[in-house]
Amino acid sequence: MFALADCNNFFASCERVFRPELNGKPVIVLSNNDGCAVARSNEAKALGIKMGDPLFKIRNIVEKHHVAVFSSNFALYGDMSRRVQEVLRSFAPSVEQYSIDEAFLDLRGMNIPDPDAFAKQISRDCRRLTAIPVSVGIAPTKTLAKIASKLCKQYPKLRGGCYMHRPQDIEKVLRNFPAGDVWGIGRRSVKKLESMHIRTAWDYVRLPETSVRKLFALPGYRTWLELQGTPSIQFEDLIEPRQTICVSRSFAKEITECGPLCEQVANFAESAVRKLREQHSLALEMAAFAFTNRFKESAPQTFGSQVSVFPDATADHRAIVSAAVAATRGLFRPGYAYKKAGVVITKLIQEEDHVHSLFADSESEARDARLSASIDEIKRSFGSQSILFGIQGDGRIKMAREHQSPHYTTLWSDIPGASVK
Amino acid sequence: MEPQKIEEQFESELMGSVKAGFPSPAEGVRERLDLVKLLVKHSASTFFFRIDGVSMVDADMDEGDIIIVDRAVEPYDGCKAVCYIDGEYTVKKVRLRQGGAILVPCNDGNTRYKPIPVGPEDDFLIWGVVTYIIKKA
Repeated sequence: MFALADCNNFFASCERVFRPELNGKPVIVLSNNDGCAVARSNEAKALGIKMGDPLFKIRNIVEKHHVAVFSSNFALYGDMSRRVQEVLRSFAPSVEQYSIDEAFLDLRGMNIPDPDAFAKQISRDCRRLTAIPVSVGIAPTKTLAKIASKLCKQYPKLRGGCYMHRPQDIEKVLRNFPAGDVWGIGRRSVKKLESMHIRTAWDYVRLPETSVRKLFALPGYRTWLELQGTPSIQFEDLIEPRQTICVSRSFAKEITECGPLCEQVANFAESAVRKLREQHSLALEMAAFAFTNRFKESAPQTFGSQVSVFPDATADHRAIVSAAVAATRGLFRPGYAYKKAGVVITKLIQEEDHVHSLFADSESEARDARLSASIDEIKRSFGSQSILFGIQGDGRIKMAREHQSPHYTTLWSDIPGASVK
Repeated sequence: MEPQKIEEQFESELMGSVKAGFPSPAEGVRERLDLVKLLVKHSASTFFFRIDGVSMVDADMDEGDIIIVDRAVEPYDGCKAVCYIDGEYTVKKVRLRQGGAILVPCNDGNTRYKPIPVGPEDDFLIWGVVTYIIKKA
């Protein structure tokens, strides 16, 4: 038996934690640079605001219905996610964090007399302790648990928790559940299914085993088994290290000069190094890229990228940041207005798999490792902006964040105020 | 002295293996008092607020104090709580009454602010219970 806990409209719900007056009111959160809506409260969805709608397109609705608009505040969302995960861990020893707002709980081998009440209690505790509304589905497989959690969102009567296990109930639900909304059925499969007149999850289950294996390969077959209550997708409470790391942003204001562009790319490289070191990986190959605004058809267009190869795998701050800056200098062309840039670490290996190069200077390597470890330590103790390379400027990635809420839970200067009356 | 040597010396002192000396009984002990452990019982549900205005005397809170608020603590009679009233956070004292609660000023003698009744439908009125007040001496 598995549970899926899914935070309702997570980013919008985070914005309500310290603004309780926004409960019951439409709230949207914008993407980086305040481009388009990436999270919507139920009230905003009811107004017809779609996922990915650009702000300029929905301006009228926003003004007419007093929709509360927020820029992304990832410091807040990350911290609220951590809190929800902690509550979930108090309910089950093994928790697989699937995304910032979703986690699976492995309930196998646990004695839970009333799973429906258990689901509702998880939801209630998350709400009480973190102020985040969470939908909890419990079912024999991960795929069915995900469907059960969606039912909670559809039916407030379920009070945030739903246990779906009787074959007749599962059939009834699957008959009304669009096949394309099933976890693991991708967009390409949906097209195939449409051509076969497979509309609901139940239609999919009714397909013969041989045609599922032939048409949808192993992942599709696993989903088919899971929908019938046979657990076939692994429980992954150990996070697999990422195979590539990409940090890129569009700029609030286009950049036309080499210096400021290098400054931005150095900041991206710095974030990439942080991610690399967090997962104990080393970089072998990295690319920096920058391009102009392709929607501005009248302006001259360019896309530049340059690859750097590290002779010896590295997670050294200096090596990676300076390679990124050198690559940016190489790709920069005057006369263009750059809108977006980024850094991708395209090849990486795990620290423990690293074989030292025959020609490496082990003494200077050890010194570099100590310097990088000290940088980590300083950042840990004094914050990520406390130590920067000269090239990083003030260390800030320049983005439009006109509507950002305070970092209520991660910066002392931003904690909410209260009066005594 | 060579840089390497200084380091070696430092390391040996740190490890307590100085020759001909009495081995330190504290060897390997690296414990220290952790203020966060004392003040934050539930890290999932603990939040910090700063007092930014006090309109009464004897409230045991002053402007600039940091208060620790734990949503895991059920409001109990006489507790102080951060409440969300008319669009702002206010610290009140909670008086439990049958079927609900009343929010009264932190200073019992204060009559300037009227008691506010809390019903079961006002689930956002009490945001969290104050567990500690941190103030500068």
